[in-house]
Amino acid sequence: MRWAALAALGVLIALPAVVGSYTLTVLIFVFFYAYLGQAWNIVGGYAGQLSVGHAAFVGIGAYTAAMLSLGAGLTPWLGMFVGGALSAALGAVIGYLGFRFGLRGFYFVLLTVAFAEICRIVALNTEAIGGAQGLYITFTGNPRQFQFPDNRAYYYIALGLMLAATAVVWTIERKRFGIYLTAIREDEDACQALGVDTFKYKMLAMVVSSFLTGVGGTFYAFYLFSLQPNTVFGIPLSVEIVIRPIVGGAGTLGGPILGSFILSPLAELSRFYFARGGWSGAHLIVYGGLLILVVLFLPQGAYPYLRRLLARRA
Amino acid sequence: MRVINFAHGDMMVWGMYLAWLLATRLGIDPYLGFVGCAAALFVVGLVVQRGLVDRIVDAPHEMQILLMLGVALVLENGALLAFGPEPQRVRSALTLSTFWLGPLFVDVARLVTFAVAVALSLALYLFLFGTDLGRTIRAAADNAYGALVIGADVRRVYAVAFGIGAACVGAAGALVSPFLPFQPSAGLAASVTSFNIVIIGGMGSLLGAFVGGLLVSVAESLGAVFLAPSLKELVSFSLLILILLFRPAGLFGRRAG
Amino acid sequence: MAILSLGRRAFLRTTVAGAAVAAFPLPLGAQPKSVKIGAVHPVTGALAEIGQACRLGAQMAADAVNAAGGITSLGGARLELVPGDTENKPDVARAEAERVISAGAQLLVGAFHSAQTAAMVPVAQQKRVPFLIDISAADPITANVADSVKKGEQKVQYVYRNFPTSRVFGQRAAQFMAEIFKEAGVQPKRVVLIYTNDLFGQTQARQFQAAVKERNPGFEIVEAIPYPEAATDLATEVSKLKSLRPDVIAPVTRATTAILLLQELAKQRVEALGIVSPGTPGLYEAGQIAQLKELVEYVMDSVPWPNFKNPRTQKVAEEYVKRSGGKTFDTNSGYSYEAILVLADVLERAKSTEPEAVVDALKKTSIKNPLMVAAGPLTFNETGDNPNASPAMIQILGQKPVVVWPRDAAAQKLVFPRPKR
Repeated sequence: MRWAALAALGVLIALPAVVGSYTLTVLIFVFFYAYLGQAWNIVGGYAGQLSVGHAAFVGIGAYTAAMLSLGAGLTPWLGMFVGGALSAALGAVIGYLGFRFGLRGFYFVLLTVAFAEICRIVALNTEAIGGAQGLYITFTGNPRQFQFPDNRAYYYIALGLMLAATAVVWTIERKRFGIYLTAIREDEDACQALGVDTFKYKMLAMVVSSFLTGVGGTFYAFYLFSLQPNTVFGIPLSVEIVIRPIVGGAGTLGGPILGSFILSPLAELSRFYFARGGWSGAHLIVYGGLLILVVLFLPQGAYPYLRRLLARRA
Repeated sequence: MRVINFAHGDMMVWGMYLAWLLATRLGIDPYLGFVGCAAALFVVGLVVQRGLVDRIVDAPHEMQILLMLGVALVLENGALLAFGPEPQRVRSALTLSTFWLGPLFVDVARLVTFAVAVALSLALYLFLFGTDLGRTIRAAADNAYGALVIGADVRRVYAVAFGIGAACVGAAGALVSPFLPFQPSAGLAASVTSFNIVIIGGMGSLLGAFVGGLLVSVAESLGAVFLAPSLKELVSFSLLILILLFRPAGLFGRRAG
Repeated sequence: MAILSLGRRAFLRTTVAGAAVAAFPLPLGAQPKSVKIGAVHPVTGALAEIGQACRLGAQMAADAVNAAGGITSLGGARLELVPGDTENKPDVARAEAERVISAGAQLLVGAFHSAQTAAMVPVAQQKRVPFLIDISAADPITANVADSVKKGEQKVQYVYRNFPTSRVFGQRAAQFMAEIFKEAGVQPKRVVLIYTNDLFGQTQARQFQAAVKERNPGFEIVEAIPYPEAATDLATEVSKLKSLRPDVIAPVTRATTAILLLQELAKQRVEALGIVSPGTPGLYEAGQIAQLKELVEYVMDSVPWPNFKNPRTQKVAEEYVKRSGGKTFDTNSGYSYEAILVLADVLERAKSTEPEAVVDALKKTSIKNPLMVAAGPLTFNETGDNPNASPAMIQILGQKPVVVWPRDAAAQKLVFPRPKR
């Protein structure tokens, strides 16, 4: 498994030398959503606290970095950490309320959705950050402003983000922290009975996860060049963040990456083949159908399945 | 049953389109046609539960969200493909009729819809509390294992319950279609609103869903009058958070185990 | 299937013709090649109806150019559209821009939604692909690029726009209303603005308010009432509006809420001299008029509109009705159609598909008789916008949208105040 991963990494590093810009763009989104998925995975996968409001953190990170850059001229390279910190603060608030008041399962899902929606509505009505019109970022191609004339730079940054988040998760997995998180997911009451401070670990997971997600917001802002409350705080983005790790296998190291590598190309391919002529919508039907098939045939996610397959071979 | 149905709103949209088909092709007023829509959606719900949800009962519960997202995508874009993107509205004799009760202004279409919805809720209540099947559904929702032990066919019960849920949204869609214009993409907002209402009222409680619905709309209207109208949406979400924190079982629900 | 349905004679004819072409290939270079244009629009999702209208408009324009012999200066090169779908999401818009370019697109048009257009701008600048925005009103999109060229951060501006910007929308709406009231000989005092609280609605509302404040046209906006984008009930908003006793109601809506709003106004019997929008969809589309019937009669709307006094526009509009299955040739199909015509004109003058040559030709564009109602010839200024792109005031008369102002584009006389029912 390790050799396979290293070989795959080698291929990814070498790839920009041979493929075109469109393929790079598709891969950039694969990495970026794998990164967001990996960040979500810490709290949603390992700790089993399903958040469907992670768009709130992307939005706060993105707006912070963009406002600091537009208003104060602060380079997004620093702004991204300010954005991450603010996201982590919101994550702490949501986590505190959710965990202190013992919200689980569906209830926690709705709490996170409600917070993200509140962020969206507040942003929509705050003139200082552009209201519904949002912010438009000038394209300069200047690396100091986190902008690059060449798509390859974005590619390596997205790849780096994904690897960094994976390294964080890998470390957590190996520490007592990770073991506790998994234990909380499997049986929180038993875990608590054994004397584990489940509140503390869930909070920690939420803060780390929201910080990483907030950092990702900067990439979003400076890759797509405009921010609107409905796109960065909206439920559709939260759903995008959630589905990849789930398809790949929530609470596994490779899940978000594998899920992203499965879903993004599927979305592109179904658009490529079915979005022609008057059949608009057909490709999303196909995509939805594929999601259903994945759930039916890989109910534990793709990554555990792949591992078993490889183990059987070996 | 604890199935988070992300396709809830999209099923409602299909109810609306079926009402529209019945009205435009066969000339059936939606206030009669809703029965047909409910029947059709009952079958859809049954098939979704039997063919899909039932197969993954043992999988992690996040899988189920994913599954319903897939179903939602298929339903929404199926509607786009079948009916096109233009907003539609069903013409009913009642669409624009209103009357004034002194200073109060009453919208007849909404009033009739409200009355039918109350009647349907009552019927559902009688079904759940007055028939054997209804009692079995409640038992299975309370404790699936227990229901299994006493010999209930839990799978069949779930399928029927899901079907009834879908039939209700189908009927609801048909009933609001005369005054609420719709497009294929209208499902998501409807799903979110109904989640809010169910949580505020109390999951697994019929009366709760009913009172929750009233409460949300009254609070939103009051919010629109007394706050800046753009903050209207904020009201229901803030209410949701407060209820989640201080009365997580909802106003009328019992706390889930 | 197509081959099976060909008659034997027709089949023979095509094969013989094909063989003849194969036997006598044209000398290289003189061969009619094709110029590919990426046309990226929100064809699925909430804006699907509009996106599909844009796509069809662009396709028809390309067909018309090809039927007239293609680009003569490029040896009769044909225009080939590479369609893209933003799915109404900015990230997909960016990926689609890259995809159509990788499929050979040498020029871009799109993308209706300002956020999606903004996401395509860096691709055009990075790849040096001239991008003519067919529809998108947010001012910063082109201004930002012009700014970064001025500061020397970018060498060349590849992004141009043939569409009124938000500022122009607001100014024209205020101007038209003042002129129309004067023409009608009435002076409404109280205007109530009611708008959808989303990207589009907020922008329109603010620009209109700013323009009214600046112009001081004799009426005032007594209140601006926003409502949520996905509203399912406007009873509260409308009763508030009613209590303000407006002379004129100025709505900015989306298609579904337009129906909701007009229904509610009728139900609560709100009286006013008229409904005059500073620019909104939802009040003039064939499908909407079919839904709204008498409710939308006499409603006015300041929107970019085809100039039916131009005979070419009339021909295109008739063909559009046929090919779209009965839809109106309007803002969206019209501007997407015009964008392709502009690019054809540009290519003709550039005599090349080299990005710099195309940009040079773009800057020198001057089209005397545009398809759409305009304040002058179609040109591009230093920010890359067409300063003469302008809305027109249309009114629903006899269940059809008709231009009623400015006077020289008017097809019918306006009716204001609206007759009492």
